[in-house]
Amino acid sequence: MATGFVLDPTTSTADDISSPGPDAGDLNGKVIGIRVDQIWRAWDWISEIWAERFRSAGAEVKFWRSCGRSGEEGERMAEQLEEFLASIDIAVVGLANCGSCTGWTVHDALAAAAKGLPTIAVATANFEQFAKTLAQHGGRSGLRVHVLPYPLNERGREEVDSVGREHFAKMLATMGAKLRNQAAAA
Amino acid sequence: MNIVTIAPSHAKHKGPPKQLVSRECGPDGCEIDWLASTRHDSDLDVVGFTQFAMKQGWGDGLPLVPPTEARVRTVLAANRRYPDEVVAHLPPSRAACTVEKIVINAVMAGAPPESLPLLIAAVEAVADPDFELFGVNATTAPVAPALFVNGPIRDRLNIPYKHGCFGGAASAAPAIGRALRLIMRNVAGQVVGITSQSTFGSPSRLAGIVVGEWEERSPWTPLAERRGVSGNAVTAFGGMGTMNVLDTTSQKPSEFLEMIGKSIAYPGTNCFSPSMPYGEVLVAINPIWAELFAEEMPDVEDLQEALWRQASVDADWLERRHRGQLEAQGRVRPDGRIYMTPEPKDIILMVCGGTGGLHATAIHSFGSSLTQTRAIV
Repeated sequence: MATGFVLDPTTSTADDISSPGPDAGDLNGKVIGIRVDQIWRAWDWISEIWAERFRSAGAEVKFWRSCGRSGEEGERMAEQLEEFLASIDIAVVGLANCGSCTGWTVHDALAAAAKGLPTIAVATANFEQFAKTLAQHGGRSGLRVHVLPYPLNERGREEVDSVGREHFAKMLATMGAKLRNQAAAA
Repeated sequence: MNIVTIAPSHAKHKGPPKQLVSRECGPDGCEIDWLASTRHDSDLDVVGFTQFAMKQGWGDGLPLVPPTEARVRTVLAANRRYPDEVVAHLPPSRAACTVEKIVINAVMAGAPPESLPLLIAAVEAVADPDFELFGVNATTAPVAPALFVNGPIRDRLNIPYKHGCFGGAASAAPAIGRALRLIMRNVAGQVVGITSQSTFGSPSRLAGIVVGEWEERSPWTPLAERRGVSGNAVTAFGGMGTMNVLDTTSQKPSEFLEMIGKSIAYPGTNCFSPSMPYGEVLVAINPIWAELFAEEMPDVEDLQEALWRQASVDADWLERRHRGQLEAQGRVRPDGRIYMTPEPKDIILMVCGGTGGLHATAIHSFGSSLTQTRAIV
C-alpha cells in the first residue's frame, strides 16, 4: 500500500487568554449591565430578580436586549452593544440556551471581557460546555460561565423565579463579587 | 521543471507576479514551498486515507481523496491562485480560511479543479457578516448554506438546473457542496455536538445544496442579476432543507400562488420564530408554472408580492403563547395576519426543475442569515 504526505485541511485558532478577567469586587456604586435576548422569557424573569438584588446591594442596573444580528438591525445592535458596554462596570450576559443564542451570548461576553469589564456569561447546563468551547475558539478560555439548570424556559414562572433566587449567591461567586450589605441582597 | 507564473488575483498583491511551482517540479525541484499546511504521513489510497482522516477528525463519513501536494498544486496552478491568500475568517473558529485550505478540502471532497472560483465566491458570500455564519454554524437548527448558481459557469461545472436539480442528478454539484461542508468542518470548526448544536442535522449538511437556475426557461431576469450581479455568480442562502409543494388541481396563477403560499407559511418555520424578527424563503418555480405565471405577471416583483400576501397566517390561528410573543414584537399587522417575511422582496424566486411541472420546492431560511450573492471570477 503506497504511503506519502497529505496536507492538513484544518486551521489553528488564535492565541488563548486563560485568565477569567478581573473580579467584580464590591458592587456598591457600580453599574451592572444585564444583556437579555428576545427569546428566553425565563432569562427575563431571572434577570429581573437579580437586578432587584443588585439594586439592593447599591448597584445601578442597565438592561440591553439583543435582537437581530444581521442587516441594518445587526448594525444597530453592534452600535447599541458598544454604547451599552461603554456605560457599565460589570457585564452579565445571557442566555446561552440554544445553539445560535449561545454563540451570540459568548460573542457579546467576549466583547465585554475584551474591554476589561468583569464579565460572566450565563448558560443553561446543556450548553455549558458549548459556551466554554466557543469562548476558547474566541481566544478567551478563561471566560466565567455561570450555569443554570436545564431545561429552564419550559418551566413555569414560580419555578423559574425560585431558580433565580437560589442561583443569585452562586452567580455572585462566579463573578467574584462582594456585597457590602449581604442582608440587603439576600 | 515546469514553472507556472501566476498573476496577482487581487489588488492587495502588489509587485511582480510570483511563481507557483507546478506538480511536475517534484519533491527536490521546488524552488518555493507555497504550501503552509502541516504534512502528515498517510496511506494514499482512498480507503486508507479515509480511515486516517476520520481518526484525525477531518472526515464526514464518505470516502475522501487524499490531498497530496501534487493534487493541491494542480488545482492552484489550473486556477492561477496564490495559496496564501486569505479569503475570509470563518466562525466559530475565526481562523483564516486561505485559498490553500479551500483547495485541500475541495480535493478531499472530489470537487473538480475548475470549481475553485465558485468555492472561493461561496466562502466570501457566507463570510459576509449579514449571512450570520456565527449563528448558522452554532444553532440547534438544521441550517446549511445552499448555493444557487447563475451564468454560463453552470454548464461548464455541470451544475444541474433541470430534472432532479436539488438532488439525484449525476453532476459535480454534490462534490462542490461537500467541499464547502468540509471547509465548515475543518476551517470554520463546525463539529457536530461540539461547536454545532444542531438537534437533528440535515442531509444538506453532508453534500450541501448546489443548484443552477434554468435561465433559458425563466421569463424573468436571472436571480443573481436581480440581486446586482450579472453573469457568473453564486447566491448563498441559509437553508433549512427542502419542502415540496404539489399542485395538480390549480389552473390560474392566483390559485397556484395560494397553494404555494399557504403551504410554505407553516407556524414552525424559523420565519415565525420570535427569535428571528425577519427571514427569507426561496421558492423554486418549475419552468412550466413560470411560463404560466409570467403571462399575468411579467414583472417578477408582482409575483413576489402576490405570493407574499398568501404566505401569511391568521394570528388567531396560532397558539396563545406563540401569538402573544409575536404580537409583542409588533408582527401582527392591522389585517390581523402575521406575514412570513417582512417584505415581498424576501420571497426569493428562481426557475429550475424538470418539465414535468406539478411541484414547487421551497427552502426556508434560518432567519437572521441574509442571502448573499457574489460574482464568480
